[in-house]
Amino acid sequence: MPAFIRKLLWLTQRRRKEAELHEELQFHLEEEAEERRQDGISQEQARWAAARELGNVSLVEEHIRGVWIWTLLEHAVQDLRYALRMMRRNPVFTFLAALLLALGIGANTAIYSFLDALLVRSLPVSDPQSLAVLNWHLPGTKKLEHSTVHGESGYFYQDSRYGTVTPIFPYPAFEVLRQSNGVFSDLFAYYPAGRLTLLLQGQAEVASAEYVSGNYFRGLGLVPATGRLLIDDDDRVGGPAVVVLSYAFAQKRFSNIAAAAGQKVTINNLPFIVIGVAPRDFFGVDPAKAPDFFLPLHADLMFGPRPDDQRYVEQNYYWIEMMGRLRPGVTLAQAQARLAPLFEQWVASTATTDSERKNLPEFLLRNGAGGLNTLRRNYSQPFFILSTMVGLILAIACANIANLLLARATARKRELAVRLSLGAGRGRVVRQLLTESLLLAAVGGAAGVLFAIWGIRALTLLFAGGNDHFTFHAELNWHVLAAAAALTMMTGLLSGLAPALEATHVDVMPVLKETRAGERRSSALRRFGLGRLLMVAQIAISLLLLVAAGLFVSTLSNLRKLEMGFNRENVLLFRLNAAQAGHRNPEAISFFSNLQMRFGSLPGVHSATLADSPLIGDGAWGWPVVPLGTPKPEKAPTGHGSGASATATHILAAGPGFFSTMQIPILLGREFDERDRLGSPPVAIVNEAWLKTNLPDRDPIGQRVVSYAFGGMKPQEMEIIGVARNTRYDNVSGDFPATVYLPFAQNLYPQVEDITFFLRTSGDPLTYANTVREIVHQADARIPVTNISTQALQIDGEMSQEILFARLCTGFAMLALLIACVGLYGTMSYTVTRRTGEIGIRMALGAQRGNVVWMVLREVLIMAAVGLAIGLPTALGTSKFVASFLFGVKPNDASSLLVSVIILVSAALLAGYIPARRASRIDPMIALRHE
Amino acid sequence: MSPRPQSRIELLQGTLDLLILRTLMTGPTHGHAIAKHIQRTSEELLQVETGSLYPALHRLEAKGWIEASWELSDKGKRARFYRLTRLGRKQLLSEQSKWEAFSRAMGLVLSPGKQEG
Repeated sequence: MPAFIRKLLWLTQRRRKEAELHEELQFHLEEEAEERRQDGISQEQARWAAARELGNVSLVEEHIRGVWIWTLLEHAVQDLRYALRMMRRNPVFTFLAALLLALGIGANTAIYSFLDALLVRSLPVSDPQSLAVLNWHLPGTKKLEHSTVHGESGYFYQDSRYGTVTPIFPYPAFEVLRQSNGVFSDLFAYYPAGRLTLLLQGQAEVASAEYVSGNYFRGLGLVPATGRLLIDDDDRVGGPAVVVLSYAFAQKRFSNIAAAAGQKVTINNLPFIVIGVAPRDFFGVDPAKAPDFFLPLHADLMFGPRPDDQRYVEQNYYWIEMMGRLRPGVTLAQAQARLAPLFEQWVASTATTDSERKNLPEFLLRNGAGGLNTLRRNYSQPFFILSTMVGLILAIACANIANLLLARATARKRELAVRLSLGAGRGRVVRQLLTESLLLAAVGGAAGVLFAIWGIRALTLLFAGGNDHFTFHAELNWHVLAAAAALTMMTGLLSGLAPALEATHVDVMPVLKETRAGERRSSALRRFGLGRLLMVAQIAISLLLLVAAGLFVSTLSNLRKLEMGFNRENVLLFRLNAAQAGHRNPEAISFFSNLQMRFGSLPGVHSATLADSPLIGDGAWGWPVVPLGTPKPEKAPTGHGSGASATATHILAAGPGFFSTMQIPILLGREFDERDRLGSPPVAIVNEAWLKTNLPDRDPIGQRVVSYAFGGMKPQEMEIIGVARNTRYDNVSGDFPATVYLPFAQNLYPQVEDITFFLRTSGDPLTYANTVREIVHQADARIPVTNISTQALQIDGEMSQEILFARLCTGFAMLALLIACVGLYGTMSYTVTRRTGEIGIRMALGAQRGNVVWMVLREVLIMAAVGLAIGLPTALGTSKFVASFLFGVKPNDASSLLVSVIILVSAALLAGYIPARRASRIDPMIALRHE
Repeated sequence: MSPRPQSRIELLQGTLDLLILRTLMTGPTHGHAIAKHIQRTSEELLQVETGSLYPALHRLEAKGWIEASWELSDKGKRARFYRLTRLGRKQLLSEQSKWEAFSRAMGLVLSPGKQEG
């Protein structure tokens, strides 16, 4: 039995071995006693004598067990030392192989750590499994436009099983649901407060906040890091002005966390008291965003009037999100069964028309252990795709190392044959070769973990795409490390086992007799067959990655080619929030107008303008605007968000010079200027898309339109003074949205809050950032300048995922191609070396150099062709899985396939040409004399 | 009790392995028979300690010099039989020649006069 398998069996069959040992010694005792009895001693005495002679049986057994374990160790150490010696003797091979494995294992570990963070990790609160997130959904047959939702602030998403899903509810629904106290021990609510201006110890900054109900922290079961957390009594109309800081924020602003409690802080120009700090690990209920501080829900009433002032009583305005802590013993399904009728009965009572009664929301409770599933929704698919790619890379690396090991083992076949002929078991030799590949994998794995640390950081940066509020953080925790270790083991076994088995499968005698040139055909074919197979696999996988890279690169270039409708180059963007520093209309308008003038007169700035939203990257305002005399659209949600409903018009309040600064052509009429100010007749500029749907065949200039902003506001009449070329607003792709521009200075809607400035500069826009900060600081030190960026960067930010995919995938494909080519080069060089004698004979018999080159290249081409024959159908079959990530290119895009094939074949020929050339330079005389 | 020889020789370290291998040269057998064989052929001068015989057998087995299987002894009982492997045979040859060189060298030094010409 081969030694290796015997050792493995020993580990598994230890009990049996022990019994055997016992039996063996027992037999000895009996023999000894028998012998003595024949000498004429009584049976009893003979047994005693035999036992005395043997001594302490357990001690002997113990010794033998020691021998077993010791030899096991001894062999392992022997193998290890031998493997180390082999590694030292081939430093280049060792370095390359370990590097390959480090890249493969590192990339896989990095991606896996993200998957782990995405799918496995729970909220850092007590008993996360008993948390449930409240949602409602509209199955595919129901329409959101015809539902009970008249207005909303929040998001909807599409789910393959449930249709349109959303976590937002009207506040009255929260009051109804919280009375069903048999289900939840706590039902708490929250909604994002967005970014507020916070003045702490004289330093202003914009920080993100969350409004939470008084039972939020109790429901989550959290203990404060210092001070206290919010309680029910903090959350009421006219409640105390108190705030809880997140641990990260407190740490950033106070050297000593404990000093935070009791501090005075100004939020949006109102005095608040810090009552405590949330626990260190707690980031909120949505891993996708980490609020800097938490305010009581009803504190939102302190910050002055808002368009949605009726939100606490309005039954058809959806905005608040809820989570519940299930009572012990209540399952998610039971809770769903108890709450669904309650909610659905209530929501039926809010329906105002028959079509609303036909499109009623349906209650949907989801597990809340991992918090809200924003991250999972956004990143699961990209990361599955990425993990497939890195898995393929590792597969190539494995195949490559297997090939290298195989070539090396074949080169060592004489040594192996000698060892086999000396009686070494095949298993023992296999084990020894496996020790080498495992050691190699271990070195690669260790380096891979270091590489993964760097990879996680790089991927986080890439995914954040410049967004400093990116909170999706992966880490190397123990399950990631365990996965990396398992991967390393698997890699070592996979890349080592086949070559080891193959290399030890030799007929000892022919190999020992064999000379350099002549070889037995059967074994040569066998051995070369495996090498070729591994090469073909590498080529096929490379093709897959090349095709994917091609698809993502064309997607990105299609996105980059999209017409924006404005000139994105050399525009500096930044935001100011004067309202949060206490500026109110109409003073705020003149404050911004003054700043606009100062920015516009800066040297190097061609012009400056402002609007109430950036065009790209922060959603859009939307509500209906229709020609006077046209009835008000029945369903037209009002609000600010991304992907607004089709019936709403996109609205942008823009300052004077907006169109000339952004270089948006005015096709008819004029653009906004100083004439359009507070008190002057209300005017508007419409774009072509709006015109096409609303006033297709009339001269638009001078026509009157009506704007139906938020429900509470009276309709506003305006006169069209211009028509602008279509531009992107909110989305960078799809149809151009119908947009109506209002003059910012006329203050046609409630409060000018967050203003975005646009500066057309000469040279790099970002060089003006400091000047801008100084000017704002002089104007009002309480206002921080935020979101400093350029228009080009902001557009890139919208394509960050596509950019990431294009870059990563190109990188992966290049890596795969490089590995495969190095492997091809190695394989062909080896073939040429082995066939030196044969080639010499051929040349001596009159073969031309070209024939020899062709002979080698033909082999390369055959392998490439087989690789393509496997790779192409696989690529065609699997590319549909990335279809949702493509833009303007079909998954079976012929040109991408063609380019990939061309690149692959050229690279293969290049890799094969060097050994081919060397083969053609063989001097027949030297080659023949060699024998 | 069997008669004991006047002086027993302590086995030199490492020699037991050689003796076992040499004993197995004559054919497969079990541990007890190996001990008896060594005792008998050395004219009872070499006494194999049972406490070291079995660890030695298992050590040799682990090194792959001998291998074991369960067979029936001549008395019809199940016994663990050891047999020499190819590697063990090779090992025996080299050990034996080493030992012979060593004992000849010892003889030369200890009794120079007695040397054969």
